[in-house]
Amino acid sequence: MAPRPQQKRLFSRKKVCRFCADKEQLIDYKDIKTLRNFVSERGKIIPRRIVGTCASHQRQLCEAIKRARHIALLPYSGNVQG
Amino acid sequence: MRRYETIFILRPSVNEDEINTIVENSSAIIEKDNGKIIDLDRWGMRKLAYPIKKEFQGFYIFLDYSGIPEAVAEMERKFRIDDAVLRYMTVKTADVITEDEIVEAIAQAANKQVSFAESATDESNIDDTDISEENDSFEDDEDESEEV
Repeated sequence: MAPRPQQKRLFSRKKVCRFCADKEQLIDYKDIKTLRNFVSERGKIIPRRIVGTCASHQRQLCEAIKRARHIALLPYSGNVQG
Repeated sequence: MRRYETIFILRPSVNEDEINTIVENSSAIIEKDNGKIIDLDRWGMRKLAYPIKKEFQGFYIFLDYSGIPEAVAEMERKFRIDDAVLRYMTVKTADVITEDEIVEAIAQAANKQVSFAESATDESNIDDTDISEENDSFEDDEDESEEV
């Protein structure tokens, strides 16, 4: 395969993990306000490649969202606001 | 001793006395084995994100405590039997907690509750309006049916 130099260089802003940037901010399943930012309109968890969180924080986020869902703070599916 | 957090949701039809007895029973289970309650917070009536057992609202109670695994198991067994409990969840927050840490955590929780209450007032207002709107719409429906 021939190398394809400089073809895949699309415009992309470098994403920074929000929880790495702000060490004070902890991931808590009770804190629905911040968890809502990482959930799509339909209640799905937004992938890391889009929100840009680092691997370890994304794992913690996932766990927190799933806990919040279990106690009906966030929906499994459907409108997050409702 | 480990540190746990438990949230449980009660049916909205449950009255004040029944809530108190459930809370007292679970705290008695914890304290029986030298556990300590660090924080007990009644979040009150909230709209559920999805219906549980055909209920759309629930009374949330949050418990932060130190205890042994057997106490948690016993408490959850009681929750499973009790028809008033819609859902419960226990999370372990620390593997080991010493007496000093418990005292410190209790002080911290007392402080937090003051600040939490201030910030929570906005949220609770929003929730209240949501609920009242719903009630209005229900009433409207009833009116229409009467006319027909």
